[in-house]
Amino acid sequence: MIYFLPNERREKWVARLAGEFNLFLPVQIEGKIHWQKYDKGNFAIDQLALSEIRAAEPIKAFLYRPREVVATFPKPIDPAQEMSALLFGVKGCDLRGLDVHRKMFLEGEFRDPFYTRRLENTILVAADCPMPRESCFCNLVGLNPFVNRGVDLSITTFDDGWVIEAVSDRGEKLANSAKDLFVPAGEHHRARREEQRQKALGILEAQNSKKWNPELSRAIAEKTSDRSFWKKAGEDCVECFGCLMTCPTCFCFLLYDQAKAKTGADVNQFERTKVWDACYMAMYARVGGGANPRPEFVQRFINRFHCKFMHFMNQHGFYACSGCGRCFTACMGKIDIRNILGQL
Amino acid sequence: MNNPYQPIPAKILEVIEETPNIRTFVLKPEEDIPFLAGQFVELTIPGFGEAPFTPSSSQFEREKLEMTIMRVGRATGALFTNKAGDVLGIRGPYGKPYPLDKFVGRDIYIVGGGVGLAPLRALFLALVHEIKKYGRIYLRYGARTPNDVVYKKQLKEWEKIKGVDIDLSVDSADGPWERKVGVVTCLMDEIPCDVKRSVAVVCGPPIMMKFVTRRLLEAGFPGESIYLSMETNMSCGLGQCGHCRLGPYFTCKDGPVLTWEQIKDIEEPFL
Repeated sequence: MIYFLPNERREKWVARLAGEFNLFLPVQIEGKIHWQKYDKGNFAIDQLALSEIRAAEPIKAFLYRPREVVATFPKPIDPAQEMSALLFGVKGCDLRGLDVHRKMFLEGEFRDPFYTRRLENTILVAADCPMPRESCFCNLVGLNPFVNRGVDLSITTFDDGWVIEAVSDRGEKLANSAKDLFVPAGEHHRARREEQRQKALGILEAQNSKKWNPELSRAIAEKTSDRSFWKKAGEDCVECFGCLMTCPTCFCFLLYDQAKAKTGADVNQFERTKVWDACYMAMYARVGGGANPRPEFVQRFINRFHCKFMHFMNQHGFYACSGCGRCFTACMGKIDIRNILGQL
Repeated sequence: MNNPYQPIPAKILEVIEETPNIRTFVLKPEEDIPFLAGQFVELTIPGFGEAPFTPSSSQFEREKLEMTIMRVGRATGALFTNKAGDVLGIRGPYGKPYPLDKFVGRDIYIVGGGVGLAPLRALFLALVHEIKKYGRIYLRYGARTPNDVVYKKQLKEWEKIKGVDIDLSVDSADGPWERKVGVVTCLMDEIPCDVKRSVAVVCGPPIMMKFVTRRLLEAGFPGESIYLSMETNMSCGLGQCGHCRLGPYFTCKDGPVLTWEQIKDIEEPFL
């Protein structure tokens, strides 16, 4: 079903959602978009940056925590049941991250119970990107600046209100509970939405007019041995790992254990923590005996392209890249992967 | 919901000193670890962390689990301070076992180097358990010096088994040694099986794996019949953390044993 929510009723609906869920929404702070928890006393609807592009932080942090205790020994912990979260204003590119993490954490032989529970308990409300920015290239990775799958509700913003479509059963229930605020939308709303979406696509097409090789994964494989190409492409990297830490699709993690006590009766008790890791780190792939398969940075640089654009595509049928542009927005050397891939 | 990061306690029943820096830890996990030869487990040294090891005992022996481990780094250094009665953590099994169904009716040519004989022992014991199903079993094993030879007693017992052919070498003999002297490939000048119909299984230090693989290919073994234990940083064991990537594979999930056919296009697969 598709609905319309007039401007003057938006604040009421948002406040109502905040009463039911841990509500997180994108707000503009010093010119940048950040996720923020809804704070009743300090929130005005015009702070909501729903029509903007994705936030600086990827939504993966809500589901796949940057740091989390995943086991204790010898007495085990149970993956915690948390209050349901509602992410209000996720973008088309954000969903690619979820797709990658579903493949990695849920669809293999072993399911991550922490990720499973959080995903089950997270309501996703999407919002279109009517005005893609220069850093956006979702069109090059097979995505759109709008969402019509994989979420619960999808919002398109207009000057006079929001067009809202229920995409899932859960979304339909949410819409039903706001029947007093929503009005049924008709064909002209769909037409307006379509027109706005096509306009956004046009912006992306124009700014990313140089298409990638349709057989990109093969092109990367063939280019792998050309070290001078990759050295030049990565020469401005200062190995800060900002690209990987802000990447919504990166899934690597490190497990480390900390003893509860150095001596005494508790010496055998420990906590196992899982933290985000980055394959650019020099010691990332080193084995216990000291050997390192990728001691040179250029090898690690290539590995990133292999992982995201070759192996993931060959194994799962899509790139482990969302086209969000966070990697080169965060990059001190402004290494734009669009350009590197465009040369292949 | 099952938590794959959670280790279960495993009591050390016995610690056997194989060589000055290699020990066999005999463990009794609180729950069954139903491993098959070639699979590995993540062993936790409480408070120090985890590392992957392949059991070296028989998959048909379910009461206890043996792991033969060389002291090389921080985790194994901490492990070596443990003794009988101490409690470790264990989770697994992970990875793919040797495809024993593909080995049926064929000669099996096993080449081990140093502590690399540990996972091969699990394979060897599984083969011997049902020895009639297979052709002849060849074991070629090399160590640095006579002191570095693991399973000295067992090797003598194994040589008596009908259908088993064992040959040994050391790189240099600093004491009494009646077998060959030279790197393990010196045992491979003549390969006494029909290479086109046999399988080769290799585990050892990377440099040894590289030269043994080269020799096996020269001798005519097809790439898909050469099974290699690949050493990468198998950190989570679940195919998720990314550390053990080897070309398109996650060694912990797709390996740790991969065939030469699978890895031949990877740039420098041996570290």
